[in-house]
Amino acid sequence: MECFSLLRADVPALIDHLGKFGEVVAPHGKGDVSYSFEVVQNSKDVVLDYNRTLLPLKKQFLPPIEKLMDFSLKDLSFKPIELEIKPKVFFAIHSYEMQSILRLDHSMLSGHVESNYLTRRKNSRFVGISFTPDDFHFSESVGIGIQEMEGFDLFLSELDDDFQLFVLTENGRSLIQSFKSMKTAEVEVEVKHEFKKKIRYHYNRLPKIFQYAYHSDVWANVAERCVGCGACTLTCPTCFCFDVSDEVGVTAEDGLRQRSWDSCMLSTFAEVAGGENFREKTINRTRHRLFRKFKYITDEEGLPWCVGCGRCTAFCPAGISLPDIVNELIQEDEKAQYHKTIRV
Amino acid sequence: MKRLQDVKTNEAVDLYYPTMCKVIGAKQITEMEKWYELQMPAGQDLGHEPGQFVEVSAFGIGEAPISISSSPSKKGSFELCIRQVGMLTNVLKKYKQGDMMGIRGPFGHGYPIDKLLGKDILIIAGGIGLVPLRSLINYVLDNRQDFGRLIILYGAKSPAELLFKEEIAVWESREDVEVYVTVDQPDDSWTGHTGVITTLIPGLKLNLDTTMAAITGPPIMYKFVIMSLKSKQFHDDHIYVSLERRMKCGVGKCGHCQINGIYCCQDGPVFNYTDIKALEEAL
Repeated sequence: MECFSLLRADVPALIDHLGKFGEVVAPHGKGDVSYSFEVVQNSKDVVLDYNRTLLPLKKQFLPPIEKLMDFSLKDLSFKPIELEIKPKVFFAIHSYEMQSILRLDHSMLSGHVESNYLTRRKNSRFVGISFTPDDFHFSESVGIGIQEMEGFDLFLSELDDDFQLFVLTENGRSLIQSFKSMKTAEVEVEVKHEFKKKIRYHYNRLPKIFQYAYHSDVWANVAERCVGCGACTLTCPTCFCFDVSDEVGVTAEDGLRQRSWDSCMLSTFAEVAGGENFREKTINRTRHRLFRKFKYITDEEGLPWCVGCGRCTAFCPAGISLPDIVNELIQEDEKAQYHKTIRV
Repeated sequence: MKRLQDVKTNEAVDLYYPTMCKVIGAKQITEMEKWYELQMPAGQDLGHEPGQFVEVSAFGIGEAPISISSSPSKKGSFELCIRQVGMLTNVLKKYKQGDMMGIRGPFGHGYPIDKLLGKDILIIAGGIGLVPLRSLINYVLDNRQDFGRLIILYGAKSPAELLFKEEIAVWESREDVEVYVTVDQPDDSWTGHTGVITTLIPGLKLNLDTTMAAITGPPIMYKFVIMSLKSKQFHDDHIYVSLERRMKCGVGKCGHCQINGIYCCQDGPVFNYTDIKALEEAL
């Protein structure tokens, strides 16, 4: 692995250099406490120390609202959307965020291959950065360390307030070609940050917990507090459910069909014509969300579909914590095991 | 896990564009249901299996998943029968001969014909459950020598809600089809059987080893029909059900049709009962 040392003061120059490949998208401050991924206008505005953006990087690949076609109501014809997809570099991306994109790859590219997603993906490069976990991050519990570099082309690892730049792919090498402000260095990975939030079990043991969790009392407790707003799924970097809907222009002569983010936490998500609702109660929906992250896809692919970014917990207006739910399920399972032992 | 590097650019498909099909026949057959015959642009076949569905599109309103009602053995056109229960279906009500209807699909898995060949076929249809089952019934009738007995149980709320009455009369007139129709709420003219559909089951004489059941109806019906079949010691793996969900995309992405971990639009809508009986959200 090639490794360079890079001064913090030279990072803006690196961002400008990456701009030769395409648009650079990086974290920016939004208000006093929030961050978002924005196209870089001035490389000095990029924030390198951020906890998490409100909306995940999935927004760049599956836009919240995406036009699918224009149609005419006069002659009932439609015109597919011609997408103009530019090459982009995603800069200062955390490891869990990258892992969420790898999971979205699976969801969008297996079975039917989504064309817009694929084009956007093929035209993107990723530069990772290490981070300091806050009270909500728990990605280590789902197998994603701060320095996990899978999926990145380049990775910036903080070292003594400056950075080490790791070159991970051929694409990464060409991104920094002729960039001068760095020196070849010995690989030195600093691991000083501890995760404060943890799931008590190794994620390998979670499938067993979820195998018996369907009828757990924990769901009723969660449902009692949940207000069903859907913030957890909107901010989840691996949630991808959507709705397809039509909008008609004011003249009622033409319109467009679009898809937009939807949420299995919203009460009508599983409703069919005539009013039958297959996940009618909040308890059904809170359970479905967690099973989507720890059971259904996990059983097939062997990986938790939660990446431990902490967004669903940090942005939940009711203070519902995903790792706490998992820990409660673990505790309940332990109690059940304990009672079983006594009975024997 | 599927990875980006495993996918070639030319594998991508435009998943959401409908094919405009011409309505070549349309008839309101009950107060709530309308039947349509549709033709693909070049008169080609839709290429479906009995039990599959399409997404029907009306620009300005949206799309809805609709069962295909005709058998694939019918060439050159296909049929839908749509109950008017929502915004889209009430707009479709106005569609007449010569109009164009947007169609995507067919999607999902229908009845596994290879597993039904040579078997006695027991059809149990409640209400508009007859619509998708009609594709299987007519497939069996068009390939009559490939199947054993054909037994059709059909229940509706009232005589006025019975679908495909003329076709049912033809089935009844055939010696190689056993048809039993029942209604819950008879009117004065009704001379047939009265009662819910499960009342037809106890009297059936079935060879349990050679009979395959296909059940479609309102959600509440499945539990009771399956209970009745099981009281006859009917084999679980001989039961097929077709489940209704609100498929938005049809291609296993949007999440609306998920039944626990499975996508109804991909793995279903037709399921073997053994594959879904442990899923709490299925029935």
